[in-house]
Amino acid sequence: MGRVIGKRLFSIMALCAMVGLLLLPIVVAMPSLAIGEEATADGAKKEGDKVEKGRDVYYKTEGVVVGAPAPKTTDGPKDYPRYNFESRVLLWFANQQHLYYGSFVLAVPIFCMIIEFMGVVTKDKALAKRYDQLAYDFIKISLTAYSLTAVLGGILIFTFLTLYPAFFSYLSSVFRPVMHIYALMFVAESGTLYIYYYGWDKMKEGFLKWIHLSMSVILNIIGTLLMFLANSWIGFMMSPAGVDEQGRYLGNIWHVIHTALWNPLNLHRILGNMAFGGGVVAAYAAYKFLAAKTDEDRAHYDWMGYIAMALGVAFLIPLPFAGYWLMREVYAYRQQMGITLMGGLLAWLFIIQATMIGILFLSTNYYLWQAMGRMRGAEKYQRYIKYLVFLLACGYMVFITPHTMVMTPAELKAMGGQQHPVLGNYGVMSAKNGGINVIITTTVLSFVWYMRGNKVSTVSWAKFGNIFMGVFFACAYINIIGLAIYGYYIPANVRVGLSVPQVTTTLSCLFFMFALNSMMMKGAKQMGPIEWGKISARSQYALIMLATAFTWMMGLMGYIRSSVRLFWHVNEIMRDNSPWAYTHTVGFAANMISANVLFFWISILFVFWLGSLTAKKAPVEAKVAVPGSVPQPAGSH
Amino acid sequence: MAVLNNPVVAVIVSLIISVGYFLTVDHFMMDMQGLDFWYLFRQ
Repeated sequence: MGRVIGKRLFSIMALCAMVGLLLLPIVVAMPSLAIGEEATADGAKKEGDKVEKGRDVYYKTEGVVVGAPAPKTTDGPKDYPRYNFESRVLLWFANQQHLYYGSFVLAVPIFCMIIEFMGVVTKDKALAKRYDQLAYDFIKISLTAYSLTAVLGGILIFTFLTLYPAFFSYLSSVFRPVMHIYALMFVAESGTLYIYYYGWDKMKEGFLKWIHLSMSVILNIIGTLLMFLANSWIGFMMSPAGVDEQGRYLGNIWHVIHTALWNPLNLHRILGNMAFGGGVVAAYAAYKFLAAKTDEDRAHYDWMGYIAMALGVAFLIPLPFAGYWLMREVYAYRQQMGITLMGGLLAWLFIIQATMIGILFLSTNYYLWQAMGRMRGAEKYQRYIKYLVFLLACGYMVFITPHTMVMTPAELKAMGGQQHPVLGNYGVMSAKNGGINVIITTTVLSFVWYMRGNKVSTVSWAKFGNIFMGVFFACAYINIIGLAIYGYYIPANVRVGLSVPQVTTTLSCLFFMFALNSMMMKGAKQMGPIEWGKISARSQYALIMLATAFTWMMGLMGYIRSSVRLFWHVNEIMRDNSPWAYTHTVGFAANMISANVLFFWISILFVFWLGSLTAKKAPVEAKVAVPGSVPQPAGSH
Repeated sequence: MAVLNNPVVAVIVSLIISVGYFLTVDHFMMDMQGLDFWYLFRQ
């Protein structure tokens, strides 16, 4: 009894410590902020009434100038010290690797939180234990990656300091309090993560489990805040605020953080990180599945891969919409910036991006169709899959068609212009919005079929429900394609709004049809259990494809977002005068992204291998079965 | 409920609900942005 109370007391103290760690950066930063303000005020008083005021470049408010102007750099060892190599490439590499690992270690604890919560609320004890084991497996993978993230963060800072000292000095002068808070938040994140991980076994039941779950919530709040702070730096570089036209800080730190693109970047990155994290864990599970020697292992990793993929795709589906919002805000901030991105210098990269998005959805659908093979009763859907393939292929072809082609003069003459007389029509946004919405709606339909694969509804209105679902999806397709065609007949200023009802149509399918399906499948008759592990090897390659495509796309989008600043370190405030202030060719950028992807996957394989060393040493606990499958092993914590 | 399970009735009812719903979505989502969904038909 006394031991239980002791454990509870320890858990509550640990939780309080985490809350304290969460608040620590704010508490520590408050006096420094206050001192900063007083110092400024004192300085102003000493100089008499001479207070220089500046006008915020974005908010248009007046403020007292408290910072130095952005340095005017020159090409030389003072501002741009270098090795006999392109400094930008080194920085690109360091930045990208840190971002990959950072995204991974921010996403995985969110998965852990969700899966641990599912385990806590599930009534089936065997399944609850299974979820708990899975959440633990996830956090174990991220723990090794966490150390590597910190190391890569250090390398990134040193790269900035040694190769771009003038720029980094300016950025850190503007973000001085934010950078301190960031560093302290990192300490809080580390502390929380270690308590969360090492406290797993001690807090596995009852009230203590809820405390443990609360810790994961705190861990994720800290992680998300960390990401938001880092986003404020890139937001400032793209759309500066809180400074005057010379780049002098005007004393309002919130203006500097809350720039025009901060919130769209936050949303886009959090969804992107989650989809990326899901993809990496799914690829890990796929690799383990392919390497598994026993049926039990195959069943376990098949299940793990499915859960990771489902979570990743749940965040992938809204990702294009968050992307649209970001682009909309980019256009609203600077129209020229939007044109450079989607209609100018970087437009071809968006065609590649569309190709990658299409591959992500195609891989997901392919995996789901293959996964139906492990369910008895799902055969009835197999003959309809060809129609889904047709829809996906049509949507994909439209989505990746470029507006204009790169051609020789002879080809140009033969075609009669920059645009193909037929295919050129598909290169506009109206058609592309239709294409991607058809792809996403088809993915939703594949998910609905997967969820009802081995079940037969027993509700009295089952026949009506099935017909309604079919008609609703058919009408949704007609509405999406109809709106895309309608866009060709109305002016651009009206057409631009059609994407909103198209997105709403897709989301209606997602929410209403998932809800309807759940209602219909309540108490449904099972045709047979899901036979975990009995899935084709091809499906696992689809998961690896999903993860690789996502990693590549993340590298590509990072490059696009960064290079849209063109020859500016900080857009319209601080000019990049290094010899590398030009935009690379598409080919060079693609090679660089591929090299980054390759390095990331080689290094993360090393991380997985390290994780497997600990797993081998762990004693084996009682075996817990995946519901409806052969018995499963559950490794100890 | 038995009437609704008749395929013909089910299709008609589903069509009325779905078409009505999507037209409402189209109209109000455009209206929300200050745009006219029926632009072409009013010309």
